[in-house]
Amino acid sequence: MGSGAQSFHFPPKGTNPMATTYTRKNAWNNGGTFSNLDLLWYAKGVGKMMSRALNDSASWWFFGAIHGEYVNPNTAWYPKPAAFPAWKFIKPGPAVPSTPLPTKANQDLYWNQCQHQSWYFLPWHRGYLLALEAQLRKDIISLNGPATWALPYWNYFGGTNGSQFQMPPAFAAKKLPDNTPNPLFVTMRYGPDGNGNIFLPTAAGVAAHPGDPNFSRGQVNANAMNNDLFTGSDQVTKPPGFGGPETGFAHGGGTSGNWENNPHNLVHVYAGYYGPVTAPFYGLMSDPGTAALDPIFYLHHANIDRMWALWNASGHPNPTKSTWLKGPTTRKFVMPGTNGQPWYYTPDQMKDLAPLKYTYQELNVPAPPAMAALPKRLALLGATGATAEAAEPAMPKETELLGASEKPLKIKGRVTAASVKLDTKIRNKTRKSLAMAAASETTAPDNVYLKVENVRGTFDATVLSVYVNLPEGANPRENPQYLAGNVALFGLRMASIADGQHAGEGLTFVLNVTPVIDALHLSHSLDVDALRVSVIPADELPENADITVGRVSLYREGF
Amino acid sequence: MIYNAREWARLRNAVLAVSVIAWIAILLQPRVASCCSVNGAGGSWRMLIAANPPRALAIDWALMLVAMMAPMLVAPLYHIRISSFARRRLRSIALFVLGYGAVWMAAGVVIVAMQLAASWRLPQSYLPAIMAGLVALVWQASPLKQRCLNRCHSHRPLAAFGFAADLDVLRFGATTGIWCVGSCWLAMLFPMLLSEGHFIAMAAVALLMFCERLDPPRTPAWQWRGFGTALRCVALRPRGPDPLTAGP
Repeated sequence: MGSGAQSFHFPPKGTNPMATTYTRKNAWNNGGTFSNLDLLWYAKGVGKMMSRALNDSASWWFFGAIHGEYVNPNTAWYPKPAAFPAWKFIKPGPAVPSTPLPTKANQDLYWNQCQHQSWYFLPWHRGYLLALEAQLRKDIISLNGPATWALPYWNYFGGTNGSQFQMPPAFAAKKLPDNTPNPLFVTMRYGPDGNGNIFLPTAAGVAAHPGDPNFSRGQVNANAMNNDLFTGSDQVTKPPGFGGPETGFAHGGGTSGNWENNPHNLVHVYAGYYGPVTAPFYGLMSDPGTAALDPIFYLHHANIDRMWALWNASGHPNPTKSTWLKGPTTRKFVMPGTNGQPWYYTPDQMKDLAPLKYTYQELNVPAPPAMAALPKRLALLGATGATAEAAEPAMPKETELLGASEKPLKIKGRVTAASVKLDTKIRNKTRKSLAMAAASETTAPDNVYLKVENVRGTFDATVLSVYVNLPEGANPRENPQYLAGNVALFGLRMASIADGQHAGEGLTFVLNVTPVIDALHLSHSLDVDALRVSVIPADELPENADITVGRVSLYREGF
Repeated sequence: MIYNAREWARLRNAVLAVSVIAWIAILLQPRVASCCSVNGAGGSWRMLIAANPPRALAIDWALMLVAMMAPMLVAPLYHIRISSFARRRLRSIALFVLGYGAVWMAAGVVIVAMQLAASWRLPQSYLPAIMAGLVALVWQASPLKQRCLNRCHSHRPLAAFGFAADLDVLRFGATTGIWCVGSCWLAMLFPMLLSEGHFIAMAAVALLMFCERLDPPRTPAWQWRGFGTALRCVALRPRGPDPLTAGP
């Protein structure tokens, strides 16, 4: 760290000089209503920020545009002809302004900065939350609120038996206790049922609603917490790693990190979602260009941030490469400070909570699973003695294409299927490696990944469940053994714009299909020329939903 | 992507090595080091053609291309590598280079012809270089240039099997070549029109073209591009307020 970094300080000047460490608390405290004063003051602070003009760097709208925007008609991603999700087409409340635009210099400095599908995803958002929290705290203090206020978080995995999968009720109330409009209420927040009831199909949610079709959609889970690599892959971490792929400045497009993919992307899409299927509209949370206008955004990201800290506390390190520590060279991360001056930051400064002077109410490191995934797999494949303590997961020696579809796909109807043709020689290589794992304790079996490439379109608000070799006509909900994974199309529209910041390549998803391939191998069914991949949207798509997949491919990773 | 840092580094190093070899070859050949300088300048058109046989011009041009363009091909070559079966990788890369090179060689006919024409009509004059430099600067700042750059960043999904796979990488090479020519043709012409200082100008242009590819795609608009990243690359960043101390 250079001399400049030593003079870095947080919290910002002008907030509470007495406070040493702020504690972000669970939004579900006191039932998640306005009896939770953190939420009441959040609402008041948001209201004050919303009262400012779009071109004021302390306004709610300006902060929303820092993440991403559809308000400047001169950007490549502004809809042409003008339509939703352009901000002037957003249904109030809140009443989102589309003028006056800030100067071009201010837009170029601050706006459209969010890092997605990148190893900068977590540190960029940590800095973003800190800057917003500082502005809110300043406003809350000016309203005679507590100087110790900190941003609450929505722990959708929390509560007794995971009961907090429902959005805290304070966000659904139209009025504050004093009967004034609630700034936390958003009309265009549809939820999975399209009716404003915001819940997430977590494992706990499903368990609490057995047989309920509303909870049968692709699950939000925290499985990526079992990853042991921030970037890259090994025997227990699928590519591109917990924190995301190594990139430069990346404002969307490409492959999400495992933690970004699920739960982050799925929570965005389920909270936003869409209403009647003929409408062109979808919820604000479903698109990075509107998401940060919704106050629930910051509680979701506080939880993502909290669980990154937990992942670190569980002994998993952040990258140490200087290209991560220093941040991208082509554009610096910068937020408006509470004094109106730009505040620049690097991932190096964001990697640890303690120097940033905040913590979380819940930072308990979870107990490790009774049996780690790798010995469990080896035992399944027949390796004797595999139940012993897991060895250090091996790093891949080679990654190669195993098979691919021959035509692009258009996602429509209930099921879209692709035939992924396998290369015989490489398939046999994988079969051999699986067979060897049973015979020798020292041979590491291949991992196999499904890659859904160049997904493009304009409809971000859906979750796709991807199955491998699901028998034709079988009910996917009753056959989870064929499930490769669930992916949410958060960021699809922006990533598909030819002159956008990812040249229109769209989104790419990597799913771990090793368990499905293991099962095929064990049932002697892997000796096939092609595998059937089924893509199933969580709900019927609107008629105007335009989603295509460039290629579906399979990769083997040899160790 | 199925990204493997070790494989990326191996490919990048191989491609950079090819580029360095081409730069050394250029340095060792005075004729190419003077940027395909034209013999018989100022004589008749027939003399000019006789003194500059097309074969020699083509070889010089190809060497320049390899030296200057190879570093910009790491990303598309890696895309081909990970999208192709291991046994097809070399063949696919060769077909990509064929498509890409064919487009640049065709563009070279026009660019070298402009160079010959300038040497014939205005021998030893800086006027053609100044004019090309000015137009190149305007082009560098234009929205059209950004559009070409954006397309250079785009990597299409590739077929994996049989003739379709061959055709796809060939087409990918040609398409990348077209957008690359659109982005860089004026910058390539400028050093060729200089009556001296070719090599330094060539190196500067190569650095600028490489650096502008490091910047992510963006909305086409009138603005300078590449220079800031190039300055940072050579550690000549203009001094200003320390960004880390300019806190809130």
